[in-house]
Amino acid sequence: MIERTLHHLAIATLATVLITVGAIHARAEEPADARRLSYTRDIQPILATHCFNCHGLDEHSREAGLRLDVRELALAALDSGTRAIVPGKVAESELVTRITSADDDTVMPPPSFKKPLTPEQIELLRQWIAQGAGYEPHWAFQPLRRPNVPAAAGPHAGWPRNPIDQFVLARLAEEKLAPAAEASRDTWLRRVSLDLTGLPPTPDERAAFLADQSADAHGKVVDRLLASPRHAERMAMQWLDVARYADTNGYNNDEERTQWPWRDWVIEAFARNMPYDRFIVEQLAGDLLPEASRQQRIATGFGRNHVLTTEGGIIPEEYRVEYVADRIQTTATAFMGLTLQCARCHDHKFDPISQRDYYRFFAFFNSIPDPLVPYAAKRLVRVGEPTIALRNYADETELASLLAAKAELKAAPPAKDAGKPDATKTDGAKPEPTKAEADAAAARLKQVEEQIAAIELRTTRVMVMADLDTPRQARMLNRGQFDQPGDTVDPGVPAWMPPLPEGTAANRLALARWLVDPRHPLTARVAVNRWWEMFFGRGIVETVEDFGTQGSPPTHPELLDHLASDLVAGGWNVRSILKSIVLSATYRQAAEAAPEAFARDPDNRLLARGPRFRLPAEMVRDQALFAGGLLVERVGGPSVKPFQPAGLWEEVSVLHQATYVPDAGDGLHRRSLYTFWKRTCPPPALAVFDAPDRETCVVRRSRTSTPLQALVLMNDPTYLEAARGVALRAVSLADRGGVSPGDPVRRDREIIAQACRLVLARDAAPREIDLLLQKLNEFRRHFQGDAEAARRLVATNDAHDSPLPPDELAAWTIVGSTLLCLDETISKN
Amino acid sequence: MPRRNDQQELNRELNRLQTLFGRRAFLGGSATAASVAAMSALLARDAVASPAAIPGPMPGAALPTLHIAPRAKRVIYLFQSGGPSHLELFDPKPGLVSQHGTELPDSIRMGQRLTGMTSGQKSFPVIASKYGFRQCGQSGTSISELLPHTGRVIDKLCLIRSMHTEAINHDPAITFIQTGSQQPGRASFGAWLSYGLGSEADDLPSFVVMLSQGSGADSNQGLLERLWGAGFLPSSHQGVKLRSGGDPVLYLNDPPGVSRQLRRSMLDGLAGLHTLQRERNGDPEIASRVAQYEMAFRMQASVPELTDLSGESAATFDHYGPDSRKPGTFAANCLLARRLVERGVRFVQLYHRGWDQHNNLMSNIPKQCRDIDQPQAALVEDLAARGLLDETLVVWAGEFGRTVYGQGGLVEDYGRDHHGRCFSIWLAGGGVKPGIVHGATDDYGYNIVRDPVHIHDLNATLLHCLGIDHERLTYRFQGRDYRLTDVHGRLVKGILA
Repeated sequence: MIERTLHHLAIATLATVLITVGAIHARAEEPADARRLSYTRDIQPILATHCFNCHGLDEHSREAGLRLDVRELALAALDSGTRAIVPGKVAESELVTRITSADDDTVMPPPSFKKPLTPEQIELLRQWIAQGAGYEPHWAFQPLRRPNVPAAAGPHAGWPRNPIDQFVLARLAEEKLAPAAEASRDTWLRRVSLDLTGLPPTPDERAAFLADQSADAHGKVVDRLLASPRHAERMAMQWLDVARYADTNGYNNDEERTQWPWRDWVIEAFARNMPYDRFIVEQLAGDLLPEASRQQRIATGFGRNHVLTTEGGIIPEEYRVEYVADRIQTTATAFMGLTLQCARCHDHKFDPISQRDYYRFFAFFNSIPDPLVPYAAKRLVRVGEPTIALRNYADETELASLLAAKAELKAAPPAKDAGKPDATKTDGAKPEPTKAEADAAAARLKQVEEQIAAIELRTTRVMVMADLDTPRQARMLNRGQFDQPGDTVDPGVPAWMPPLPEGTAANRLALARWLVDPRHPLTARVAVNRWWEMFFGRGIVETVEDFGTQGSPPTHPELLDHLASDLVAGGWNVRSILKSIVLSATYRQAAEAAPEAFARDPDNRLLARGPRFRLPAEMVRDQALFAGGLLVERVGGPSVKPFQPAGLWEEVSVLHQATYVPDAGDGLHRRSLYTFWKRTCPPPALAVFDAPDRETCVVRRSRTSTPLQALVLMNDPTYLEAARGVALRAVSLADRGGVSPGDPVRRDREIIAQACRLVLARDAAPREIDLLLQKLNEFRRHFQGDAEAARRLVATNDAHDSPLPPDELAAWTIVGSTLLCLDETISKN
Repeated sequence: MPRRNDQQELNRELNRLQTLFGRRAFLGGSATAASVAAMSALLARDAVASPAAIPGPMPGAALPTLHIAPRAKRVIYLFQSGGPSHLELFDPKPGLVSQHGTELPDSIRMGQRLTGMTSGQKSFPVIASKYGFRQCGQSGTSISELLPHTGRVIDKLCLIRSMHTEAINHDPAITFIQTGSQQPGRASFGAWLSYGLGSEADDLPSFVVMLSQGSGADSNQGLLERLWGAGFLPSSHQGVKLRSGGDPVLYLNDPPGVSRQLRRSMLDGLAGLHTLQRERNGDPEIASRVAQYEMAFRMQASVPELTDLSGESAATFDHYGPDSRKPGTFAANCLLARRLVERGVRFVQLYHRGWDQHNNLMSNIPKQCRDIDQPQAALVEDLAARGLLDETLVVWAGEFGRTVYGQGGLVEDYGRDHHGRCFSIWLAGGGVKPGIVHGATDDYGYNIVRDPVHIHDLNATLLHCLGIDHERLTYRFQGRDYRLTDVHGRLVKGILA
């Protein structure tokens, strides 16, 4: 499976492209001494991979008292009297002696570590010491500062449309590259529609845009797309992976949960363009806001979306600790791009995060009740308190009266002893009921309790966060083990980061406000980088999940800081950032390029062309349904069950009790973000297109190309149904266009043209129409010769009332299927 | 991220495509019946790859070369889900007969962690196995009378009685043995292999999974896709389920009314459109997409050929036992496993459910044994007879063993709780010593007294047999170089041939 993962790093001063395969192998194409090396780009990755394990931050694994991650310590005299690094003096630097030693006992790294340095790496280290062994602080941990926008110069000075382009152009100029031509209006429209709404433009939308010759035509399209409810769904789609949202609990028993109101909160937040700082605060600490609304409390479902076990015989504390650990990992990855979880068992090997820092972070999430949720045979829904109950109005009022009735019945005095004589009343006391009265009351109580239980079954319970009245004291855990507690720790953040807000309790709300403090070096950078990846397929920092020292360096550091500064300065306005990206000349470039350009920069790191990559799983499916006129657009609600092959849940579930019954009606054709997500058996046609299982936080999906994807596109009944829909719509559009029925070839060509507009949102080239027409006639001959085959093909799923005879419809369906299978169709171009 | 030289991979794809299809497929000309026939002949090539032809890492795989001379080229993993009791199957404790019903001494239990299912028990009565053991083969190794066929091949097996794990509940334990971590998120063994070595069959997935239900009891523990998942690795490395009902591979079958000829014709049209697309755009990804459609087309032929057992002889069915004629059984899956490795599939994983015998172990374990005994013995013999056993590593294991004390006290149809302190597994074939017993447990089958083998040690050793240094098969994720064996794992040299 081809992945475009060739890494290109550029040595700025020489514009030399270094190819990295596996570790960083610098291939010096210029005389070595001519290059000025960068610690961040050239040296730190080598030290981190090969040296920091024993000579880094973690004092427990430190050897020979040597630290190489801090310059003063790397330069200090060692016990042996030597110095690892003597700036400018290669021969006196013990580090060089050791990495070049031929003796297995003294060579570094030791052979047992199995990470030997390559000759190129050794040469880089020598040069770096010769050049003075300069260190640089890690860029992502430095405060955000708005960079100056470089002036556009040179032959393409007129190209930029906004500051994004000026940063991109400056980098292209360094590389002696030119931006690509602007993409066609068709291409840009489809690209931006998919990016902002997850769906392609309709033929009408396309016609309107093509006809709009005003200067602001593009801007109007973007405004229309951003205002669409589809935009909120598209943004939520990405967030569900990050927030590891699912409709089941995961782990062995994997019962259902009803967390979808949290998902709807996310959609609503994007629909209102909720500022990103509020988006964070409400999800992490909505319950702690003054006079928190029910919606704000539902938002905290973010912290409860993690997997939940009900396996018999588990030790509750063991899993409670795992839940807290999951919250830390998710919070740190999603908002800070930090691998905090690496410091659970020991100090972080690469980033300045101690094990104590980890447990101080742990303390913020340690007071969620997290009770044991026991296994309950035959119960298909299991959730853990605290929850918010959601009922319709009728149930809500009925429940109130039932609860009152229950209280009253329970308060009634018991029936008097049968042995005692009747009616021994004492003044002022309630009369004791007779036996008959008591029996009636008991029956009534039973009935009321049954009615309450019935309402409970219909009740949606959203798991949310809340803190215990008395906080749990957090402790360090030796090796991260739940049963090996150590020192007590209080909530706090690493000392090198900005402090928590003053004058408030150090709780989740303080943590959330700290994250959105404009001085926070990571939050805004991480956010804009994730959105950038959404549009360009690759973040400015490729490792979207890791902004630490082991992550990839940014390809355009100033551009990243420019966007991040804009986000903060603009009041965390998400749409404004998205709009600036999609209206940039960078984004408007054509993706076409000569083979040499692909060879030079296969990942398009330098942005010398427009983005082109396969669509995410949800969009592949949604687009097909949309083109086929089948998509049912309704925002929110319980998750739905479209077609999937029979038996998948049954063969893995406990006691085979989870059964998958596809929905009847609308549920088959809703947008894919509403598809029911069972963690131990995710929807197969989405999983095959790299949708994750949602057991853990995922901020970057893999992007593969496999034959299983081809099988889904060719054979999944959903895609076949969509293909038939495309055929029927295309015929209808062509006939409405008034093509003479007396010219069948012209009519066929027109139908093909309409089908291409529906699926590809562009006009087909004559050669494409020729080819499809030729195939159509082949398919026709096939089905004319086999009426039974035609009948069976078009009878798939729900029968449609078709104006076409079965052999015609079957032939056109295969044409539709061909279009849906195209690489262009499932790609953003 | 994997840093692969995609130009190299692209060239390989293109060369392969050109070899296979010439220019015709790309030009999108109409396919005549003759050309379809020619195509089919081309596609049918290598229907059964010669084992000797199976290379090491494929171009584009994460490992450019193997680290060690490989002894095994592929794995068949017979996973017994639920925790089979070592005390009834592989670890005889005749001394327990006289101890039956007595309290397990504290000196043995040593206050070790129990599951919540028995930690509240007031009494921990020792339960002797109801089933006897007998010495088998030249090696004279004692195994259960419930496994007579397995006894027949005992001299080909390497029995380990000293496995131990850290988890005592199903989910973490099964996740641990399959992915090297108790918590979700890591890659499974088969995915690591697919990532490290690539796929050697170009018409079948490199990692195939089959499930079967045991006869012992309905399974009160589930299976999880993560057990054959890719975790943080690219998702193309996850195991592909081969199923007995419906499509053998999900979405494999063409829709009703679509013949092979029509599919070929449709794909020719698709290839023609892709050629036009490439003329506009130089993106090599398009060529990759074309290749995937062609591989899908080949799979549509190769998978039915694989699962069609009509060519197997009556003697073979008799050998694997009567269940082998019933699709979806462990026996049928064993036979399919042999056919898969014959066709170059690198990792075949079976899961047989039903071993979680907290109650009624006595009456249910014979049924589980009947499910597996004859077919697994036949599989070992069949592989040996075909010259495949030498380079195929067969692994039989569950996620843990079971306690010597009875769950729910001393009852006739006794049960046993989960026990991770020791359990038994066996290996056979490429790279491991046949006919030996490695490690030993105490008189109660509770603690290990000799040569403990940790899960990480097992995985390190399996990788070693496949030619891989477990410390050097790594993947950079979230700033860390992950391994199947985390930061642990020592070779179990005593079992290496």
